[in-house]
Amino acid sequence: MTAPRFGPTTFAIAFCCTYATVFAMNSPLFLYYPLHGDFRWGAQPLHGAGPAIAWYGLMAKAAIVATAAALCVPDRLLGRVLRNSAWLFAVAAMLVCVFLLRPLFLH
Amino acid sequence: MIATALLILHGLIGVTLLGAITHQMVSLLRRHTARSGSFIDRYTGVTQKTFTVAVVLLYMAGLLIGAVIYPNYRLNVRIPFEEMRLGWAVGLFELKEHFAGIGASLLPLYSYCWKAEVAQSHHRQRLALTLLLGFIVWWDFLVGHILNNIRGLE
Repeated sequence: MTAPRFGPTTFAIAFCCTYATVFAMNSPLFLYYPLHGDFRWGAQPLHGAGPAIAWYGLMAKAAIVATAAALCVPDRLLGRVLRNSAWLFAVAAMLVCVFLLRPLFLH
Repeated sequence: MIATALLILHGLIGVTLLGAITHQMVSLLRRHTARSGSFIDRYTGVTQKTFTVAVVLLYMAGLLIGAVIYPNYRLNVRIPFEEMRLGWAVGLFELKEHFAGIGASLLPLYSYCWKAEVAQSHHRQRLALTLLLGFIVWWDFLVGHILNNIRGLE
């Protein structure tokens, strides 16, 4: 039995797509409340617990989805164009973040 | 006290990473192959394999330390930013954290593209990934520096 091969291109594409989607939908895996060290699954706010951090939950969700995709879909199954343009997915995800955060710069 | 020490370490790792990735970027962009021993030649004459390992390790170390001190930022820096109506500063930091996370996802592919056996077939992808990671590292470093100048950790 051979170990499943990890596809770095699949990982990058899946991570960027998941990250941008989860951020746009405000759907982190969990929220962390640093004031008292509380964790809560999903994006449901915990009232009275202070400010929440969503970034850990965004990273965790994107990493889990991307790791599963990278183990299930080898890079060779991706089309040549897709294989050579993984970096464009990262640029697109970054632009999505800029777009979603624009209110902070406009007010 | 520990958070301040980690913030300084985070900054020092950022400086080292900035140097490593910039060396690699300039080396990639420079087509001149004849070496004359000048400063530029020495600057661009990097051992790519060593630099790739260094960039990956430094990036991950910087990201992990940044994640550890993030709660301090959230409680002691971001709230004053919001009270001072510095929305743009909050936005800059948000972009810094998102770019850093997206950049981390590129590291396995970046590392793969710098392997000698795919040097020819993945040249353009290697160039694009290195430049993109370079942009993210520069952005994160400069934003971190600017925000720390406005208000550092306590």
